[in-house]
Amino acid sequence: MSFIQLTDVIKEYKTAHALRGVSMSVEKGEWVNIMGPSGSGKSTLLNIIGGLDSPNSGEVLIDSLDITRLGEDEMAVFRREKTGFIFQQSHLVPYLNAAENVMLAQYFHSMADSKEAAEALSRVGMGHRLTHKPSQLSGGEQQRVCIARALINNPGILLADEPTGNLDRENTKVILELLSKLHTEEHFTIILVTHDPFVARWGQRVLTMEDGAIIKDESPTAGG
Amino acid sequence: MIYEAFVVGFKEGFKVGLVWLVLYAYLNNNGKNHLIRPFYLGITSIAILSLLSISFPSACITKENLGNIIAASFAVLLISSGFALFHASGVRLFGSLSGIWINEKVIQVIIFIGTLLFFFSDSMGTLVFLQDLSLMKEALLGTFVSSASGLIAALVFFLVVFDRLRPLWIGSFFNVPQLLLFLAMVKLLGGGIKGFAELSLIPAVQRGFMKFAHDLIHQMFVLLMIPDHMLLRTTLWNFIGFFFGPKFSSIVSLLILLVLPMMFIRHSFFNPLPAPEAANPAYKRKIVALLMSDRRKKALPIIVFIILIVFAWFSQGGESVTQLYNPKPKPVIADKGIIMIPVKDPTMDLMDGRLHKFSLTEQGEEIRLIIIRKPDNTISVCLDACEICAPEGYGQQGDHVICIFCNTPIPVRTMGEPGGCNPIPLTAATDEQFVKIELDEILRKWQFVKTGKSKEGIK
Repeated sequence: MSFIQLTDVIKEYKTAHALRGVSMSVEKGEWVNIMGPSGSGKSTLLNIIGGLDSPNSGEVLIDSLDITRLGEDEMAVFRREKTGFIFQQSHLVPYLNAAENVMLAQYFHSMADSKEAAEALSRVGMGHRLTHKPSQLSGGEQQRVCIARALINNPGILLADEPTGNLDRENTKVILELLSKLHTEEHFTIILVTHDPFVARWGQRVLTMEDGAIIKDESPTAGG
Repeated sequence: MIYEAFVVGFKEGFKVGLVWLVLYAYLNNNGKNHLIRPFYLGITSIAILSLLSISFPSACITKENLGNIIAASFAVLLISSGFALFHASGVRLFGSLSGIWINEKVIQVIIFIGTLLFFFSDSMGTLVFLQDLSLMKEALLGTFVSSASGLIAALVFFLVVFDRLRPLWIGSFFNVPQLLLFLAMVKLLGGGIKGFAELSLIPAVQRGFMKFAHDLIHQMFVLLMIPDHMLLRTTLWNFIGFFFGPKFSSIVSLLILLVLPMMFIRHSFFNPLPAPEAANPAYKRKIVALLMSDRRKKALPIIVFIILIVFAWFSQGGESVTQLYNPKPKPVIADKGIIMIPVKDPTMDLMDGRLHKFSLTEQGEEIRLIIIRKPDNTISVCLDACEICAPEGYGQQGDHVICIFCNTPIPVRTMGEPGGCNPIPLTAATDEQFVKIELDEILRKWQFVKTGKSKEGIK
């Protein structure tokens, strides 16, 4: 049994078929990139894996747990403990500093620990910016805080939706190198959605989607 | 329907229902539902013992003995909860005895005996009270039927609450220390054996603690000023009454009672948690958060108890101590050096159990005497003054006389014993008609009080 196993997942909105019977599997510790044009269903698929959205039918097994059968409270616990998210926008709380933003994630998980938050920020190279507010940080720095925030609760799965979409090539590389380093050290599973072929070259597999279906599953042509 | 009997029956039923509910919820929370059986067995045994005691009354089942058992149960439970708290916080007071708790048979025996000890005094006390009430109301059957109705109504109430609400979640608020403290609180707030006159034990406990506080402060004064300090003896002794006044001593007594619950609160919020073994910091943080949350959850009943105690303390305890029976002294005169007071005349009866005061005037100075019948039906005659306080005299409250100056409660049964804040005893010859007291003895002892030398003892 794979760590993440989707079987015939269908997601329909009123006017569109977002996912048309998607089946896929991801092994524990694997880094999988999902590519495809806008509207192909990449983000919907990511949201379903992360428990942010639910399918109309099909099975979503995460570590042998069918998350489609979870109640609201159980789903909240699943999201809190098993997943970490990074989005295109940083979604950092503007009036909290970098350390406090990380501690906020700790607080909702269990309890805040400033020392641990500082260590996590140091690991992403932000140890010198602990007390800076998001507005005092560059886009790349904000995204690094987001990575620290996503990983602070040791989630097991990191879900990244266009994490470098707002960054220039140089910062994109910095973020991807950081993710690669952390992935090697901590062995968590990464599912990253991107439409950028440069980003898609990082990781171990690339799934290509089109019109709500996976049309290609291959290894990247070249690593970063 | 005899209302008073119904309420007393309801109160006892409510206690049984409440203890059952909390105990059952606690056991259920720990997956030990079957351990409730010894509780049922204990309650059944008490019902049988109570019925037997009506048929075969025993001389040792007296109000005083039962009252003492209830007070002792409260003290034992309170102290046990403290020991259990220390144990739960890692202090192994009993060393290898700790293992006893995992033996289910031992737990079953403890629950059974605990149930017997907890409810037997209440049950017997209620029966004794109901017997008195039935004599007063001249309605034996009506009294017992009313009381049984109250008891059944309370039990039905709990069964309905349990059936409708299934409040088993309350079990998560309790551990052994909280459970023992809860039982102590039920004893404290669940009242004694005098029906309406003692709906809670607060006044009795307050008297006990006030006596303790009094003795403590008094001994401190004595230690500080032996022999009477030249500078202090005329000043501080006169202020000692402040420390024994109803407000000060009531608050000191309340603080003494709250020491243990406050220790629970301290343990719940401030004691460091054991460092958990965990694979990663997030999991470790989660375990710590769960432990902290559990501790705080289990502090909730303690906070409720503290609020209840404080509320009950100020709503009935302090007030009742200050409500004293303090009759006006009747003037008497000596005839050939003897004061003769009739045991009974149309205006009074010295055997009625109430405090009687008399006054005689010597050289323009009023000297007061007190006379009261003791529980053993003997008459006690004393000066209306003690050896240590300013001679403001005594008032009566139930089976105690209270020193008006320092508020110390003195059990009537100890009247006639010299020393401390007890009234200064006088030798009296009593026959069926008169109580005879020698004037010389009164004047001699009064001289000690008047000059303040009584603090060094009356020779």
